[in-house]
Amino acid sequence: MSATPAIEVKSARRTFRTSGGLFGTAREVVAVDDVSLAVPAGSVLGIVGESGCGKSTLARLILGLLPTTAGEVLVDGQRLDGMDRRFRAELIQPVFQDPFASLNPRRRIGDIVALPLVAQGKFAGAEIGRKVAEMLERVGLASDMAGRLPAELSGGQRQRVAIARALILRPRIVVCDEPTSALDVSVQAQILNLLAELRREFNLTYLFISHNLAVVEHVATEVAVMYLGRIVEQAPTAELFHAPRHPYTRALLASVLTPEPGLGVPDVGLGDILPDPANIPPGCRFHPRCPVAIERCGSVAPPLLAAAHSRVECHLAVAGAA
Amino acid sequence: MSEALLDIAGLRVTFAGGTAAVRGTAIAVNRGETHCLVGESGCGKSVSALAVMNLLARGASRSADRLRFAGEDLLSLSDTGMARLRGNRMAMIFQEPMTSLNPAYTVGSQMTEVHRRHKGSSRQVATDRAAEMLARVGITAPGMRLGQFPHQLSGGLRQRVMIAMALMCDPELLIADEPTTALDVTVQAQILRLLAGLQRDLGLAVLLITHDLGIVARVADRVSVMYAGEVVESARTNDLFARPQHPYTRGLLDCVPVPGKIRPGEPLGSIPGVVPRVRAGFQGCGFRDRCAFAMPECAAEVPRHAAGEAHDYLCRLAADWSGLRGAA
Repeated sequence: MSATPAIEVKSARRTFRTSGGLFGTAREVVAVDDVSLAVPAGSVLGIVGESGCGKSTLARLILGLLPTTAGEVLVDGQRLDGMDRRFRAELIQPVFQDPFASLNPRRRIGDIVALPLVAQGKFAGAEIGRKVAEMLERVGLASDMAGRLPAELSGGQRQRVAIARALILRPRIVVCDEPTSALDVSVQAQILNLLAELRREFNLTYLFISHNLAVVEHVATEVAVMYLGRIVEQAPTAELFHAPRHPYTRALLASVLTPEPGLGVPDVGLGDILPDPANIPPGCRFHPRCPVAIERCGSVAPPLLAAAHSRVECHLAVAGAA
Repeated sequence: MSEALLDIAGLRVTFAGGTAAVRGTAIAVNRGETHCLVGESGCGKSVSALAVMNLLARGASRSADRLRFAGEDLLSLSDTGMARLRGNRMAMIFQEPMTSLNPAYTVGSQMTEVHRRHKGSSRQVATDRAAEMLARVGITAPGMRLGQFPHQLSGGLRQRVMIAMALMCDPELLIADEPTTALDVTVQAQILRLLAGLQRDLGLAVLLITHDLGIVARVADRVSVMYAGEVVESARTNDLFARPQHPYTRGLLDCVPVPGKIRPGEPLGSIPGVVPRVRAGFQGCGFRDRCAFAMPECAAEVPRHAAGEAHDYLCRLAADWSGLRGAA
């Protein structure tokens, strides 16, 4: 393993300005708040959290699709801002959730997969054709698929096309943002297996974003839990799933419904107050929903407790009560 | 055992384009029982439910050998007769509450309308009932919520409102079509827990449609697995998970990552190929193109086998055959 992390995020912050409507005042939404992380080359960092927690915004910052408001993002040790787009495309590529929205409906499959090569402007036509055919075969698509339109493909086939397009430049890092959420269960397993094979074969690093914790446990080597823009806990996968330290992580794990009959639906212990990114509570941002909150949680932001491979932000973790 | 509350046999739905969406489905939902209809997209589970409610889109044709609700024959029921049942004795909730709530009316006016229409109650009585039901589904300050519009509520709250609205007239049967699919995991668990509690307390019969085997395991008393328009296996929940018989059910159970069952990094089980679109006139087993055990005779009519008490499946393989996962 090389010493340079594949992805390094240093105190990244990203805010959005929302219009308050016709009569409201504009508000600032902090989507990503002081996030730092490092993903070693060859590993899979899973990012979990509920909708609106900032996980997709973080993915877009790491892909360089959005600039940071503050802080910086390094990919393979190089700063993203100011990086040449063609160079960046050879380093890091995305696979998005909805293969119905991420493929141009008017382009043929072969052209969609070839586009990153064409955009580089340094490959000859024959070479492009050969690489595309190879890659389509590798992701399990028949060669006659190249002439088809996305509408003629199933959801699973489209996601294979998106993966082929992401890998055609042989990047080092792939950001997978909910890559199987739109797929059926039987097809989800095919795509997860394919992603795992390709990672070993091409020695890839994945940033794997999902709301499905069972899937994340299966694919990730390390997991970061996001809540309202912050990483509240991060640890190696087995540690996080077996000894979660943050109450939010525990609630998330409690809400996973494994296919084991007779256990009933668990009580996750969270109230009805839902997180609002435009209105972040003072102190610990999880305290209004936290089943074990103490008085201090409502006013003082919890300290970061960092060890070699894990970190947690919780007052109770300090006291050793968690 | 008394007659099932909802008794469906030989239900068929064909769309105008010639797609056979439902091909002879049989489902029996007993009083006070949660029955899960599980399957992948396009397998006909939602269409089956819509066919029961007689809410199919124009151009779809429905037929059945038997379609009875509380002893009443739904096939011969007039449109007005059906409208009298719907929202009253049988209610339905859908996946995306935002699209099933009218954005132009307050929560209160939508909730009271159901009660005033079916029960002929006054505005005041209906409003009291709406506030009571909102409190019943765990909504605090129901009076304030009644005056709000759907867009002012979060997804979880909207789904609670939908449930409260469905229960306004004290139905005997609740059909819930993927009620938590659009929600976050923590909210999903809360809503399912709420539904399970209501089902128990009110003695409701629930037909729950889902693609999630985790939900099935945790809430269902009975399960029917659908594939390509047919119920391919039906059993009590414990029995289905302990002794799945149909190759599709077995394959589907292997596709789900279960912590502790499959080691991280090991490949998941998967079913090759994709769910077929079945045309009218299709014969034989709908799963045969993806099945590792398919034989030429699978193209002919497939027998329904029994695998113990109240457990049957649609496949030529004998009960407790070993294969994919060894002796199951």
